[in-house]
Amino acid sequence: MDRTKTKAAPAVALKISPARAPEEHRLTVAAKRGEPGVFREIYNAYRARVYNLALYSIGDSAQAQDVLQAVFLKVFRGLAAFRFESSLATWIYRIAHNECRDHHRRRKAPFVPLEAVLGSTDEVDPQPSSHEQHARRERDLIIQRAVMQLPFKMREVVVLKYVEGLSYEDMARVLGCAPGTVASRLNRALAELEERLRPFRQLL
Amino acid sequence: MTCLRFDLRKKMIPYIEGRLAGPGTARLERHLLSCDFCRALLVRLRTGHQMAQRLAWLSLAIDEVPQFDSGIAGLVATGATGRAWPSTWPDRLEALATPRVVTVLAAVVLLQLGLLVVSNRAVLLGEHSRTSVSTGSINLAEFRQLTIPELRSNTQPHVATEGYVEDVHTDEEEGTVAFRLVERPQSGSSFVVCEIMSPIQMAPPPEGSRVRVYGVERYDAQQDRKWYEVNPVLNIVALKP
Repeated sequence: MDRTKTKAAPAVALKISPARAPEEHRLTVAAKRGEPGVFREIYNAYRARVYNLALYSIGDSAQAQDVLQAVFLKVFRGLAAFRFESSLATWIYRIAHNECRDHHRRRKAPFVPLEAVLGSTDEVDPQPSSHEQHARRERDLIIQRAVMQLPFKMREVVVLKYVEGLSYEDMARVLGCAPGTVASRLNRALAELEERLRPFRQLL
Repeated sequence: MTCLRFDLRKKMIPYIEGRLAGPGTARLERHLLSCDFCRALLVRLRTGHQMAQRLAWLSLAIDEVPQFDSGIAGLVATGATGRAWPSTWPDRLEALATPRVVTVLAAVVLLQLGLLVVSNRAVLLGEHSRTSVSTGSINLAEFRQLTIPELRSNTQPHVATEGYVEDVHTDEEEGTVAFRLVERPQSGSSFVVCEIMSPIQMAPPPEGSRVRVYGVERYDAQQDRKWYEVNPVLNIVALKP
């Protein structure tokens, strides 16, 4: 049977450009050796992305900071055993995903609206803003809130694709599932998002 | 009415983003012409996609992210280092003997025992379903029972057909498993291509086995195909040879 579409998933590194990959490799090797200051570099390179993922997943900045800390502790502890079977970024994202999922399972707490995380829009943006900027910020908050109220698995794929910009293949590696599953989950998430935001269509 | 073309639905976001290759685009657009359900879904996904795209412009305040010195540095410096993997097997076993690992191992053993019991029971009954999802919402009795040659003249979507399994083929990229179902093994007789796809999780039947396949019949008119398919497969029942 000629199934010409068949091919193995490409072994691409997660969001690492060809120019960046050697740098990531150098950092990883140095960190595995325990060279001073290298782990700080890794932390600074990935902290914002891990925090973003945690905040969208959990919806609470204090808890997202706890998750961030737990993730990098695991990274620190696990670096010695890291065997370059994936890129460092994929590996860190996978740890972050597992930590967020475990946190979500443990917590089972009511969802915290985004406003409670970021405060009022005045607190978010201390600069005097025009009416249009303010309105835009309001619209953005509506979308963010809708995303953060999606079920956990749907929220994950939306954040990984639209906030972190990962491909289906990279998302599949991080989430530990097939790209086809990622595609199905993303479809369900976007359909759900559209439904939740339908009452606000005129505003958005 | 719900459309069961899960395979095409998975292509909708790449299609919206303009990343779908030409043949895939043509295949999807042909289907959209005749499927109200998928057209409505495409509109919803496009709207959801446009809204979600705005997330890329919404950066969360970077100053909320703890600096290294105020965050993890203390923990790293105060001995929160990883334990090296022990070099000898007694030490490794000791390292593995945490309550969590023991619990997981116990669960795995119980699961295996449970599967063994279920498997033996199925063998005694003579046939068993291979699907891992509930078929409670599918009434298999309503599927039209047809031989493989009869599929050519069939007009009903839900069919059940029997044959021998050949050429099992896994497409990791697509997350699908396909196989050829033939009337008689290795005889070049009539065949139908069967495709298992997410979210329906099912172990592919062993090559050479005789099975009854339940699913949606369609004709794949692509240039290099032009064959009948059961796609998606909704259930597989193993039969005696």
